[in-house]
Amino acid sequence: MSAQTRYIGLVTRIVAFALDAAVINLVALLVSLGASLILSLFHVDHVLKDVLVVVGGVVYVVWTIAYFVTFWCTTGETPGERVMRIRVVASNGDRVKPRWALVRCAGAVLSALPLFAGYLLILFDRRRRGLLDIVARTVVIESPTLSLAAIRRQRRRAEQALRSSHSGDERGASVSQA
Amino acid sequence: MADQPTDNASSRGFRPLGGLGGRAAAATLRPFTDAAAVELETLLATALESEHMQRGIRGAFESDGGRQLVADFFDSGLFDEFVERLLASPALWHLVDEVADSPAVTAAITQQGLGFADQVTGEVRRRTRRADAWLERAAQRLLPRRWRTADAADEAHPEASR
Repeated sequence: MSAQTRYIGLVTRIVAFALDAAVINLVALLVSLGASLILSLFHVDHVLKDVLVVVGGVVYVVWTIAYFVTFWCTTGETPGERVMRIRVVASNGDRVKPRWALVRCAGAVLSALPLFAGYLLILFDRRRRGLLDIVARTVVIESPTLSLAAIRRQRRRAEQALRSSHSGDERGASVSQA
Repeated sequence: MADQPTDNASSRGFRPLGGLGGRAAAATLRPFTDAAAVELETLLATALESEHMQRGIRGAFESDGGRQLVADFFDSGLFDEFVERLLASPALWHLVDEVADSPAVTAAITQQGLGFADQVTGEVRRRTRRADAWLERAAQRLLPRRWRTADAADEAHPEASR
């Protein structure tokens, strides 16, 4: 990480997390509403109802984990983090790998268990890391204006332009030899 | 029907000659009419720009008579009737629909909305960054001096700590 890197503090991360929680719960609410409407057409006995509630809970947890892991591994930023212009990266500046993203999710829960003390570490750490960042070897930094996808697209275009100019040179050389 | 001029054969025979004569007369008179139009335009412009005329118009508007005239116009109900008829006309609503549906207007509204959202999120970002620095400084004060890392927090966000 360069000396110019700006690490993000607790308040910004809380706001980003609140936005993500709103997105996650809104989607979950709409899906559960649809599912309950469909199920209301059928006669479901009590045992099956309990099983469905458990399944719904598991699906909710999986959806939440998948949301964070997918965004952290691909763009490095969830929609809430995108709004706040912050990004999760590995300590060396690389993209977060899926297993470390999973560890970070577990770390987020662990940080919240002792009355959110794991998050209070952000206030005292030099690189503003909470317990979840320490266990997953990540840092939260300020995101550039361009998204990772846009940077990748720009790089691909530059490579294509370079390749086409090379092929043009080779063709020109073969024509001059002939 | 009896009052209408009769369209007999002799008048029909002279019609091409009449058209020719009219065109010739128009062509002959065109330089004079053009010159007269230019003169009239200059005359009107000079008259409107003249100080006397300006003062006269201003005086007419500011006079009690002028104000009374405007008040009478609105009291007469003419304006209300005009607005009522305008609102009742389907052509107006057609025009409003056309304007509202036009891509330029839609794009402008979208742009405006996005600009506003950007402004709001930008302000939220700025404030939360400042709150980060403030909270960290407050937390660092709780620690013994040798354990403090507040300088690092300030380095991380120099403008937020201001």
